[in-house]
Amino acid sequence: MRSRASALLVCLLAAAPSQASRTPSAESKHARVTLAPEVTSIRPGQPFWVGLRLELDENWHTYWKNPGDSGLPTTIRWTLPEGFVASAIHWPLPHRFLIDPLMSYAYADEVWLLTEIRPPSQLAQAEVAIAARVDWLECEDVCLPGQARLDFTLPVRAVAPERSEHAAVIERFRARLPATPTFSARAAAAASSVTLTVAGAARPREAYFFPARAGVIEHALPQELGRTAMEFSLSLPRAVNGALPEVLEGVLEIDGKGFELKLPIAGAAAAPPATEATPGAGALTLAPALGLAFVGGLILNLMPCVLPVLSLKVMSFVRQGAEGRGPLRHALAFTAGVVAFFLGLAGALLALRAGGEQIGWGFQLQSPGFVVFMAMLFLLLSLNLLGVFEVGQSLTAAGNLAAGKTGLAGSFWNGALATLVATPCTAPFMGSALGFALGQSAAVTLLVFGVLGLGMAAPYVVLASSPALLTRLPRPGAWLERFKQAMAFPLLGTVAFLVWLFGRQVGIDAVGWLLFALLLVAFGGWAYGQAAGVAGTRRALMLGSAGTLAVAGLLVGMQQAQATPQGELAVSDGWVAYSPGELLALRAAGTPVFVDFTADWCLSCQVNERVALEREAVRERFRAKGVVLMKADWTRRDETITRALLDHGRQGVPLYVLYGRDPQAPPRILPEVLTPGIVLAALDEL
Amino acid sequence: MKRFAAVLGIGLLAVGLLALRPEPVAAAAAVGQPAPDFSLPDVKGGKHALSSYKGKFVVLEWVNYDCPFVKKHYGSGNMPKLQKAYTGKGVTWLSINSSAPGKQGHFAAAEIESRAKGHSAAFSAYLLDTDGSVGRVYGAKTTPHMYIVDPAGKLVYAGGIDDKPSSDAADIATAKNFVSAALDEALAGKPVSVATSTPYGCSVKY
Repeated sequence: MRSRASALLVCLLAAAPSQASRTPSAESKHARVTLAPEVTSIRPGQPFWVGLRLELDENWHTYWKNPGDSGLPTTIRWTLPEGFVASAIHWPLPHRFLIDPLMSYAYADEVWLLTEIRPPSQLAQAEVAIAARVDWLECEDVCLPGQARLDFTLPVRAVAPERSEHAAVIERFRARLPATPTFSARAAAAASSVTLTVAGAARPREAYFFPARAGVIEHALPQELGRTAMEFSLSLPRAVNGALPEVLEGVLEIDGKGFELKLPIAGAAAAPPATEATPGAGALTLAPALGLAFVGGLILNLMPCVLPVLSLKVMSFVRQGAEGRGPLRHALAFTAGVVAFFLGLAGALLALRAGGEQIGWGFQLQSPGFVVFMAMLFLLLSLNLLGVFEVGQSLTAAGNLAAGKTGLAGSFWNGALATLVATPCTAPFMGSALGFALGQSAAVTLLVFGVLGLGMAAPYVVLASSPALLTRLPRPGAWLERFKQAMAFPLLGTVAFLVWLFGRQVGIDAVGWLLFALLLVAFGGWAYGQAAGVAGTRRALMLGSAGTLAVAGLLVGMQQAQATPQGELAVSDGWVAYSPGELLALRAAGTPVFVDFTADWCLSCQVNERVALEREAVRERFRAKGVVLMKADWTRRDETITRALLDHGRQGVPLYVLYGRDPQAPPRILPEVLTPGIVLAALDEL
Repeated sequence: MKRFAAVLGIGLLAVGLLALRPEPVAAAAAVGQPAPDFSLPDVKGGKHALSSYKGKFVVLEWVNYDCPFVKKHYGSGNMPKLQKAYTGKGVTWLSINSSAPGKQGHFAAAEIESRAKGHSAAFSAYLLDTDGSVGRVYGAKTTPHMYIVDPAGKLVYAGGIDDKPSSDAADIATAKNFVSAALDEALAGKPVSVATSTPYGCSVKY
């Protein structure tokens, strides 16, 4: 019969007399071990952590789960009351000890090995005894085995347990446990090495892979680190006498932080190419990328956000044509404005990347503050077109769209404005070109963005340089005024879109405030317009109130933009949210997965979804083939998704990736413009 | 002139001596490949070359009498039993010690003999690999670490002695012994089914 008095023995290495008592601690020649829970009581059904503390003399160490070339890992054999379940040991990141030619993966000084214990949901006793037999090997130059029987008791209480004195240090060691990777990785075998390639992680200063089991790699040999712009790789030397498993399992340490990896090892002698055959950074070269950028720029003129401004450009052409004002010079000034602002945008992107921000193209729209600013800008533009106010009496250069007086500077700022309003839209082909660009040197990036700008301005230069075409343009007349006013409405449509986007990003309450802020701005615009017809103090009053209202509106809007988002982005039915861990698991199980990288502000994404992905026939085929649909929603800033995009050589959305049943085969990337036919054809090949 | 020649001579000599330093050797013993040849002295001073044992099965046992894991197999009588059984079947059993001078397991000749006798060790010879070169070539990591060479000189087994890595003698009875299994198969002319396993023990004290 077990009673509390007949406790467990504690064996000391140097034959000390055994004691019948409750002891959570023991000592060996060079180590002190303690078993300590993080709580002071047990609540039925609530799991808690127990730490095994191993504190060692200087120069002595104990081993990790894979001890390396020699040694034994610490083991814990639990004696638990009925219904209690103990997890396996959670090992903090180990250190490397190289005593040539042998490598040990071990811990020195002090380490806490953590176990999670799950009590049953019903507990009859008032007190519970937890016991463990711990075996370890403590080594310096020589090794001594250690053993101890440790135990502690805890009362059972129905309330939430309080933290024990050890809770803080257990928390610290829990933070040192390897994490799930936020990047993607793959492993490929060659004759004498296994190459572990990681994409979507920042460039490391150093990296090391700790295999979970012996016999896979030679622990003592160095792992060469190779770095390219988008990825880094470790060359792991294969074990001389050991069979390579199908899965590479272990912990990857990147600059002191550990990540759990479990990857299928691809192929044998013929190592697969490092970059997958996708239209991404690897496959594209400079010349085709420039071509794509130019075409993308041309198409950008047709995108809904640019079209109204485009029409305004046409209007100014008409006016210039009528006034015989040398349209070519203006077209070139316009081009200069466009190119300058695209270069500025590229520069800002590069500067942010250099500062460590994980962003891609479209980052501007992930920021609610930017959305608010754009909404106000478009609102003011539309009011201007409707004639609520005119710009240009007191200001000289900023985007004078309606009055006839456009100097060369005006054309330049028109170009700048066109670029600004183009930023919410990413045209087809732009994605691949930008993906290539941002993976190259800064010079190449700027070049590609510059060519994009040239593409956007090209139609006007062509138009302006051809007198024949110019004469075909209609003469200005009353129709021009009506056309100008009509163009306000597509701009207001864009405002509506931006308000909806803001709502998706932040929440419905913030939308209410944003609408109010827009109201203030509109009122301010009207006041400004009224100031034109009067003079003196009334004018000053009008201008003053206009300024105040606009600023107030801006402040309210910006303050709302800082609000914490309400709720998660809802994932539509049939789709699961993107998660790298989940994707790895599905791939390992051989399940085909379709990942849709999308964002609410990406119009081509929305079109693709309506036209191709949400079609009944296509959804049916997805179901029939057993494809799991995963949506990577990039509407808000999301580092995980940004890294995944970078991994595929892309800087922005849309991106459509189809993973087949073979976990080792590279995925298929679908084009940026989808039709149901394209998707069905790809699915048929599964 | 004389002084210049002297300085030059000493310089060249120094460079030459530096060049004689033993180079770090990479592990080259792979199962299925010819086992690297070596020549090592035994306790009595006689030389043993692996190639001289062609035509016989040879077991290489990396040993360190002070290591708790080696003590587990000797104290329980497990290793001497294997040695007796297989040397009786014509297998040459070579115990090799690669401990550097001053490190654990490195003993003088008389000490080795008395230890071996105390354990009832039945090896064919106890070889001294004091500079560790043979251990490095074979990639010997632990004591014990076992290798089996067939009569043609090919390495047919490299790995641990059994599948229960511990220093507890009670585990021997329930453990699968890879060495006896491999020898039984090889002596019967069958291919070795488990040709590699993870070795366990203390590190070799190079």
